[in-house]
Amino acid sequence: MQRFAVGITALLFLAGCVQVAPWERGRLAKPHMALDPNPNQSAIQEHVYSSREAGGGIKGAGGGCGCY
Amino acid sequence: MNKSQALTALTSAALLLPGLAAENSQVSLQYSRYQEGKRNLFDVKSQFDPLQVDTTRFSLDLGLYDRWRLGLTYTEDVWSGATPIATAPLAAQPNRPLDVTSGASPLLTGQVELDADLNPLRGGIKDSRLVHVLATASPEVRRAGDFRLGYEWNEAELSLLGGFSLENDYKSAYGGVSGRLDFNRKLTTLSYGFNYTHSDIQAILDHDSSPYIVKDSYRTGINLRQKGGLGLEQLVGKRQDFALNLGLSQILTRDDLLSLNLGYTRSAGFLENPYKAVTVLFIDPAQLGQLVLIGNRRALLEERPALRNQGVVGLKWVHYLASLDAALHLGYQFARDDWGIAAHTFEAQWIQPLGGGWTIAPRIRYYSQDQASFYQPYLLSLQPFEAIAKDSRGREIWVDGQGREYFVDSGDFFDASGNPVTPPDDVAPKRIRFNRQALPKHFSSDHRLSGFGALSGGITISKVFAKGVTLEAGFEYYAHAGSLKLSGGGEDAYSDFDFLVANAALKMDLEALQLSGLEHHAHHHHGTHGHHFLPAGLMYAHMMPAATPFMVGYRLMHQSQNGNLLHGSRRARDQLVVAKGCSPIACRYVPKKMEMAMHMLELMYAPSDWLNLMIMPQFMAMEMDIDELSGRPPRDPAVFEHGGKHTTGGVSDTLLATLIRLWHTPGHHLHLGLGLSAPTGDVHLKMRRMHQQEMGFHHFDMQLGSGSFDFIPSLTYTGEQGQWWWGGQLLGTVRLEENDAGWRRGHLAQASAWGGYSLTDWLGASVRGVYTFQGKMAGDVDGFSLRLGPMDFPQNAGGKFFDLGFGLSAIVPSGPFAGNTLRFEWLQPVMDDFYGYQLKREGALTFTWSYTF
Repeated sequence: MQRFAVGITALLFLAGCVQVAPWERGRLAKPHMALDPNPNQSAIQEHVYSSREAGGGIKGAGGGCGCY
Repeated sequence: MNKSQALTALTSAALLLPGLAAENSQVSLQYSRYQEGKRNLFDVKSQFDPLQVDTTRFSLDLGLYDRWRLGLTYTEDVWSGATPIATAPLAAQPNRPLDVTSGASPLLTGQVELDADLNPLRGGIKDSRLVHVLATASPEVRRAGDFRLGYEWNEAELSLLGGFSLENDYKSAYGGVSGRLDFNRKLTTLSYGFNYTHSDIQAILDHDSSPYIVKDSYRTGINLRQKGGLGLEQLVGKRQDFALNLGLSQILTRDDLLSLNLGYTRSAGFLENPYKAVTVLFIDPAQLGQLVLIGNRRALLEERPALRNQGVVGLKWVHYLASLDAALHLGYQFARDDWGIAAHTFEAQWIQPLGGGWTIAPRIRYYSQDQASFYQPYLLSLQPFEAIAKDSRGREIWVDGQGREYFVDSGDFFDASGNPVTPPDDVAPKRIRFNRQALPKHFSSDHRLSGFGALSGGITISKVFAKGVTLEAGFEYYAHAGSLKLSGGGEDAYSDFDFLVANAALKMDLEALQLSGLEHHAHHHHGTHGHHFLPAGLMYAHMMPAATPFMVGYRLMHQSQNGNLLHGSRRARDQLVVAKGCSPIACRYVPKKMEMAMHMLELMYAPSDWLNLMIMPQFMAMEMDIDELSGRPPRDPAVFEHGGKHTTGGVSDTLLATLIRLWHTPGHHLHLGLGLSAPTGDVHLKMRRMHQQEMGFHHFDMQLGSGSFDFIPSLTYTGEQGQWWWGGQLLGTVRLEENDAGWRRGHLAQASAWGGYSLTDWLGASVRGVYTFQGKMAGDVDGFSLRLGPMDFPQNAGGKFFDLGFGLSAIVPSGPFAGNTLRFEWLQPVMDDFYGYQLKREGALTFTWSYTF
């Protein structure tokens, strides 16, 4: 946990050094650069994985048994 | 919106953070099929079909006024097939086929020979291999709906979310909040979410295996109750999940984005899978020292801790490769819980736009997890499963029919006071079950909790059409294997399996559609209301001009039958139904209620003004409640029959049609429709086995299609004058063949006439009269059917019907959703004249949405 906190602090600190002006963010705004570029596909994947694996997702919302 | 406004919108979107950019309003429809491969049962060939899941998903994401955003999703899953119920030594032959026709039956109890070291013996030779015990399920339906209502500030967003998931045996509802905060000139974003899910479990234990599962030691807090005198047992429990997540995303360079996510989930209550059992081999210690021991194999419902805390950390890096215009997504996730499961996920995806609107995205994923601390493929317990009770002096305790106890010493019976007595004839040894405390507190052999690894790979291909329509197809192959577990030690190969997921999606960007459609809508929508204002229940009634060559639509029809059984038009009392409804035998059951929901995707193309082409895949979900008839003949104890709710669902028949304009003058239009229905719906659905008996084919109306190629001709006339519009349609369905299940649905002829009035230029109301004649069904089920009631006999299908339809049609004339058409119609039965004995019709609601562009 300690290492984790150090990591987060370091990350936030480094974040302050980053300089990318708004007009330089064109590439980052491309649809395939989105964090979840394909929500339709990821919805299906999450549903399938959650009924087959115990690892769990981050968001945890939803419901249903998935008792196959 | 003109072009410069559009450019401004795009530019401002580009200045926002990736992934969180304000997107356009979107509608999408997706279908996916999960298909598992056959399980390895070693020397027995599984005759159950492997598990398959069909999912249809409709989602809507709308930018409402200014800064509000609404997302709605509706998902319907239909699943059926074989799934492991327990694990057992192969030597016990738990999947022994009963006979050739009935398939493997799960045999959860029996005896196993063991050597002195407690290894299972097969034919006297040590064989430690394990095998899954498979059970099967007929189609089960899950329906889920979600909403998200969000508000966006310049540097923040807050959403309320909620939803439900409904299955016969498992009902969940959830609600929560999520949002984000941008800071550091939008280079850094903090996202957060909290949600709470409540689930109610009322699981009817697998009918086939329940009689063989030991439940008397089941933990307290979970109720096991009898359901409706049908000999069915239900597990009743509640579950609560609290989930919290925090995320931080950071722009690193103009080509790199990093995100870190943390999640915590606390689950409490009934966390078991109600359909999984654990094999326990009870070994009487009196046998110890022998060369061959006999293990008494029993199955107990799994028991998991009632609490689980899980933490997840995820890291994702997205990198842009300018030379290829490609994006590389790399992700890693670590999850850990207090059940002893640690899981790692590594993911990589390459997204490559190819020009011409094509994008190809291959993807690879590796997952590995440790087993839960209480996971055991099966348990060994050194105690007899059942023994004769003894008192403190070592005397056997016997008990008579009145519950009086006797103590047996050297063959003589004594009462509690120590007096010699002669017991009554019904005296028998008092048996006591095993000591639950000698078993582990928690145990499960669900393969989801075992140690394994999984490797999967897939590809997504999408094509964006200029008008804002995207077609997408995805495939993924997934292999689960104990040997793939990170650092080894995974479950043995018996538990390996694989599956394939294929999906297709249609996505529409409403704003892009509107940009492209501005010009034609400007002249198309005026003066052609009659073409749009149509009763929703009509099919093949609308033709498009070539100026707007594409139409995408969705149709939902919900039809119910409820109440009395009718013979012709008159109520048939139970005695009559018993005597005549199932000729030549007697009816035992009767349908009480039937609900049918049909989802149809309508795709239409107009190569010219006089010719339109249509293709319409359909999905069905059906439910039927059946009840026992009073005055039915007595039950045959050897045959298990039951009432209750039956469900089926899945892909139905696919319709193809051509519409040909015959006559068109201002105010009048006539066209011919030539349609064909292809038998893509399954007509071989069977009810799930119960109490080790085959239940045979499902009722005719619960099958998913006609099973035959059908010809569907139609002739439609429409007219309009001022605010008034009217029309008529003749439609037929001619079955071209008998289906391969041995029967053919009746031919159908239908006549409709309607009149409508435009209340405003965007809203119209209609009244429609519909006369339907459906001929008799031919042939009969070619195979075993339980023939419980009128719904299982071909003479009880078809008839003559008259209905009145009341409809509303709305065309969105302007604003961001211009060009969308919504229609509703309620069809009220006025006259029923059934052939044979059928359930009274209650009505049908049709909703359609379409978009022309």
